[in-house]
Amino acid sequence: MAKVVVIGAGFAGHTTALYLADRLKKKHEVVVVSNRDVFSYLPSWVWVGVGHMKPEKTIFKVKPVYDRKGIKFVHAAVREIHPDAGEQFILADEVGSGKETRIDYDYVVVAPGPFLNFAATPGLGPEKGFTNSICSLPHAVTTRDNYLALCERMKKGENVKIVIGTGHPGATCQGAAFEYIVNVHKDLVKRGLRDKADILWLSNEPELGDLGVNGVQIKRNGHTMVSEEFIKSVFNDHGIRYQIQSGVTKVEEGKIHWQNYEGDEGTTDFDFAMLIPAFKGQPFKYVNKEGEDITAKLNNPGGFFLVDGKYGLPYPELAQTPEAWPSKYQNPTYPNMFAAGIAFAPPGPISKPFTNKNGLLIAPAPPRTGMISGAIGRVVAMNVADLIEKGEITHGERMTEMVAACIASMGDSLWDGNAVTIVMRPVVPDRKKYNNPYGRDLFVSHLEMGLSGAWMKYMLHYTFMWKFKGKFGWKLIPE
Amino acid sequence: MEQQFTKSEKFWMNFKLYQLYRFIALNIKIYTVAVQSKFK
Repeated sequence: MAKVVVIGAGFAGHTTALYLADRLKKKHEVVVVSNRDVFSYLPSWVWVGVGHMKPEKTIFKVKPVYDRKGIKFVHAAVREIHPDAGEQFILADEVGSGKETRIDYDYVVVAPGPFLNFAATPGLGPEKGFTNSICSLPHAVTTRDNYLALCERMKKGENVKIVIGTGHPGATCQGAAFEYIVNVHKDLVKRGLRDKADILWLSNEPELGDLGVNGVQIKRNGHTMVSEEFIKSVFNDHGIRYQIQSGVTKVEEGKIHWQNYEGDEGTTDFDFAMLIPAFKGQPFKYVNKEGEDITAKLNNPGGFFLVDGKYGLPYPELAQTPEAWPSKYQNPTYPNMFAAGIAFAPPGPISKPFTNKNGLLIAPAPPRTGMISGAIGRVVAMNVADLIEKGEITHGERMTEMVAACIASMGDSLWDGNAVTIVMRPVVPDRKKYNNPYGRDLFVSHLEMGLSGAWMKYMLHYTFMWKFKGKFGWKLIPE
Repeated sequence: MEQQFTKSEKFWMNFKLYQLYRFIALNIKIYTVAVQSKFK
């Protein structure tokens, strides 16, 4: 009987655990270790941040689901992983008691989600800084409270400056920030306060609408349309100003410091800011049987777990090498170790990086959240099950093959709401397979804005909560 | 001139019957391409 330990109960970890339990049918042991005992549906936090959805609607306790599926749940924070043969175990501290727990494993899947690296930008973040975030549920709730307090000030006649975007030159998740800025705009319109706010989009993207994936390109009425035109229309239509190619370097009370591509340094004043931090890997320590710290051999400098990708290629070469992206998400040194979701180390950025004359690298990191996380979680589950049952791996899906669909909310009303529906294949351009400058399948890739998107966003919330609760037919719902 | 959506585009974006058609069409499209991924 093999024992598989999944670290993390988010999109990637939870999906991995559900598929493993389904495939292994209690013949083998599946254990989930997580410092959080709830599953969180992150895409809806954008609505929590403007007070349009109750926080509790975006979470559920995982233990009852795992009990039903025969998965063991350990509510603990992982600290150390000992991967050497014969002595393969995890050390974790139980949440609440702080008691150290040892969990032995035959296979381990590292899927703990990102560590929100607010410290990389001095003054960033809600805890030790001056900005807001929607990257965790407590942050989204604080953001909502701060936003509603701002609305009260506006009601009294005060004019305010709102800045939304990325809070680090290497930040990702521009999509979530885009959703938030448009939802804030729509909410202020409904409150009759829009004329009191100057709203600015501040981002590290090389082009507007890049979204960390080199933009989205589609074929419409015989000609190619790019997301830059689309997002520009949205911002112009909504009176949202934008500043791109800018990396935030420091935040002070009411003042954001940034540098742009030209190397200019500048500041932007704000009354309310929601800036996405840089992400890094969770700070797990890897220890060999001699007791030596081998973390640097298993992680990249960002703390993300190395898998079967081709690392170290310069961007121009990487952009032409789709096979550099991992397919099995398996560590080459320890074949019983896998990573899923944002935890795996990507071979490089998708968007073109830029270093300005001051040596500041402004480069959006590749997004690996949502549908991508889920799809990787499923591939990893299938591969672990393959290894246990057949002794060989038969599944693989690179981000250069993967399709992703994203519904970016632009107002949550079912009557006059709006959302952008984005479908792209592949997520990472494959310029060898697709004979166009974008490396994308322009027949499948799609970008559309309308009320139907708002309905889709609602439908996805309830459909995915159903799926992640492992209820009847959950496997029929794609990741 | 600033790039903006045309009046016609805005009309179709909120025309309920057309959006119902788009809702069904988009669901079919997304489901079809996402399910292909399941067999990889």
